Amino acid sequence: MSTDVLVVGGGNAALVSALSAADAGARVRLLERAPAHFRGGNSRHTRNIRCAHDTGDEFTTGPYPGAELRRDLGGVGDGPSDERLAELTVRESRSVPAWMTAHGAHWQPALSGTLNLARTNRFFLGGGKALLNSYYRTAERAGVTVEYDTQVTRLEWTGETCTAAHTADGRRIPAASVVCASGGFEANLAWLGRYWGEAAQGFHVRGPSYNDGRVLRELLDAGAQRAGEERGFHAVAVDARGPRYDGGIATRIDAIPFGIVVDRDGRRFHDEGEDIWPKRYASWGRNIALRPGQIAYALWDAKVQGSFLPPMYGPYTAGSVEELAETLGLDGRAVAETVGAFNTAVDRGGPPSRTFTMSRPDGRRTAGLDPPKSNWAQRLDTPPYYAVPMRPGVTFTYLGVAVTDRARVRRVDGGVFGNVFAAGEIMSGNILSTGYLAGFGMTIGTVWGRIAGREAARHALG
Amino acid sequence: MPLDDLFDEARRQLTVCNSCRYCAGYCPVWPALELRPAPERRDITHLANLCHDCGDCLSACMYAPPHEFAVAPPSVFADVRKDTYRRYVWPRRAPGRLGTGIAFAAVCLVLALLSRLFTGRWFGAADRPGDPYEVLPHVPLLIAVGVPGVWALAVFGWAALRYWRDIHGRLADLFRPRAWRTTFVQAVQLRHMEGGGAGCEVPGRRGFHLVLLYGFGLCAVSTTAAALLQNVLGAQPPYSWVSVPVISGGVGGIAMLVGGTGLWVRGGGSGFLWSLLVLAATGMLTLLLRETVAFGPLLLLHVAAVVTAFGTAPYSKFVHWIFRMLSIHHDNLER
Ligand SMILES: Cc1cc2nc3c(=O)[nH]c(=O)nc-3n(C[C@H](O)[C@H](O)[C@H](O)COP(=O)(O)OP(=O)(O)OC[C@H]3O[C@@H](n4cnc5c(N)ncnc54)[C@H](O)[C@@H]3O)c2cc1C
Repeated sequence: MSTDVLVVGGGNAALVSALSAADAGARVRLLERAPAHFRGGNSRHTRNIRCAHDTGDEFTTGPYPGAELRRDLGGVGDGPSDERLAELTVRESRSVPAWMTAHGAHWQPALSGTLNLARTNRFFLGGGKALLNSYYRTAERAGVTVEYDTQVTRLEWTGETCTAAHTADGRRIPAASVVCASGGFEANLAWLGRYWGEAAQGFHVRGPSYNDGRVLRELLDAGAQRAGEERGFHAVAVDARGPRYDGGIATRIDAIPFGIVVDRDGRRFHDEGEDIWPKRYASWGRNIALRPGQIAYALWDAKVQGSFLPPMYGPYTAGSVEELAETLGLDGRAVAETVGAFNTAVDRGGPPSRTFTMSRPDGRRTAGLDPPKSNWAQRLDTPPYYAVPMRPGVTFTYLGVAVTDRARVRRVDGGVFGNVFAAGEIMSGNILSTGYLAGFGMTIGTVWGRIAGREAARHALG
Repeated sequence: MPLDDLFDEARRQLTVCNSCRYCAGYCPVWPALELRPAPERRDITHLANLCHDCGDCLSACMYAPPHEFAVAPPSVFADVRKDTYRRYVWPRRAPGRLGTGIAFAAVCLVLALLSRLFTGRWFGAADRPGDPYEVLPHVPLLIAVGVPGVWALAVFGWAALRYWRDIHGRLADLFRPRAWRTTFVQAVQLRHMEGGGAGCEVPGRRGFHLVLLYGFGLCAVSTTAAALLQNVLGAQPPYSWVSVPVISGGVGGIAMLVGGTGLWVRGGGSGFLWSLLVLAATGMLTLLLRETVAFGPLLLLHVAAVVTAFGTAPYSKFVHWIFRMLSIHHDNLER
């Protein structure tokens, strides 16, 4: 049986593309590099999606107008790469939740403890893997052919048309249209190394090892236009003891604003009290990536122990700062000096005007310290002391291919490929430049998957 | 797996769960875990018995085996529950399948001999077909069923008290009618098996379990109604086809057979399920064939099944609802 729409990838953007193409009447074939039990790419690690809505409901606590989402998007990093496509994404996001529900998604009622995101973001019941399981079930019912353990290694071209995909097991799979939804290149440390140098070897990759950018490379080599920054990525601080790949959400470290962070030399290097929202998540991966050895240590004391998600491997603990530092293999005296200077600066900041609270920037700041801690600054003075070692955990990369508002892949010569579409991380650089807005990765994949699938079907069916 | 290892393994997995929390919407196990960042043995026991084994968390888990974190709460909880069923029940040593079979055969034999002794006939070849007391008179029948029944109740009660003391503490909290009402409604709906709206991962499992549960309840209604009819209203069995005991027993029996078989097919086969099926099947046959010569032997078979079920219930999976109800109650109290 011939294929109308070939979807490369098996994550959110791929499944949405496949469902959307099947809805439009196309015969769809989806190639997922991962085996069935690891299907779903980075999307299997996700938890929520950010969409504009005019009223709150059971799953969101209040309205989130499109204009506000647009503003939030403009406020992170250097703002959107392509204003028009960002605008389109925001507009299309409104109809995404209903579309998802119709294709099998279940939602989690807005609970407490959903990271202050309950108004803006909808949480998938059970998380991204549960969502993907539902999508795969719906896709199979819709007649989509799914092939696991199938890595696309090469795209075959006739002029500006992609005629077939070649797989690692030596097959040639022809199709009328191709949707590339195979993620970024975050799992390719050599590629990251081109922009980050040696430091890339110290990175952890939060998702599976499959997103090596192979298909992205094929597109770029075939003359696709680039979109996004080379160093554009989302990275958070993760537990250095976690696995190199696929540690997911459980290894990220929430301790930072509760105490201080020192580098390999025992010195502070960045404001731990930056506005917690929304930058904290996106900034620390990068901060640590720029430190010697790509390692840093979060320290806190007994006062705040227990007020944030416990690290999966448990914290190191000791009765004094020096002892703790030495357990970590750091210079005890240097760390003790850092803590001493920090405590002095907290005292100089004056008596705390408000009580310590994480629910908002509390304005308790250090005075005369460089770098300062501009919120949640309180002395580290109550034993036992705790610490975890952290590394940059790369979530996903932004550099990808440029697309039109119909998700067609653009060429460097100004034209577009005849039958090639892209959705998800592989084209996220059209929208994200350097910053990130929690939950927007899934929005991009869903909005653009829907467009790509529909347009690919339209192209194939004539 | 040795017990310490089992609880260490559960703790290891739950630490991963506690740093993820994606499952929070499925059932109360996960919010309850959030209250226990460093779960001790009794916490793990409580969580395991609060779990209704719908499987949703496992299928949603990106860390499920073969991921190196190897997180699989339903199976580790099932193992912990096995420990609960043994640890809190006296005596701890449970009769095996063979032992249960031998006990059943022995009870059959004893009942047949008693019947012969009291009625002078084999299997009470009766004048009034369908009258149980022509097979075994009222008092010996009452004793035969009552002794293991009271035994089971005593063991249940003691187990429940010890369990409550461990997971909760205050005995007075066992008498909180309002919380019990919530607990009861949740329990009889198997609410915590609904996966927060996603449904149980094994299709039909919750439905069959409900059918079995309500069938069992109807059979209990049937027995109680018969006792009332006889002892309060003085009406002797057999009761007419349109009486409360016969209708509730009939519908209940069929429901137990349907629910039990369904669960069996869905992979829930345990010795306990077997004994419920035997109970329901012999009961139904006794009812259907009560006007034939088969009535006597069938009734003895059914009574033997009841006696064996009562005697072995504390050592079978039957006890699961006691710990589950108490854990639901504890969960409702701690919210
Ligand atoms: C731990 C973690 C948590 C996150 N949480 C959130 C969140 O809560 N909300 C949010 O919006 N975003 C979140 N993100 C980001 C989000 O995962 C991505 O933005 C989004 O999933 C991208 O979807 P995608 O389909 O483009 O890529 P993926 O889901 O990564 O899918 C890519 C697919 O392509 C397959 N593939 C790769 N190469 C090939 C090949 N050569 N041949 C065939 N198949 C191939 C992969 O196996 C995979 O199935 C999170 C990311 C991580 C790592």
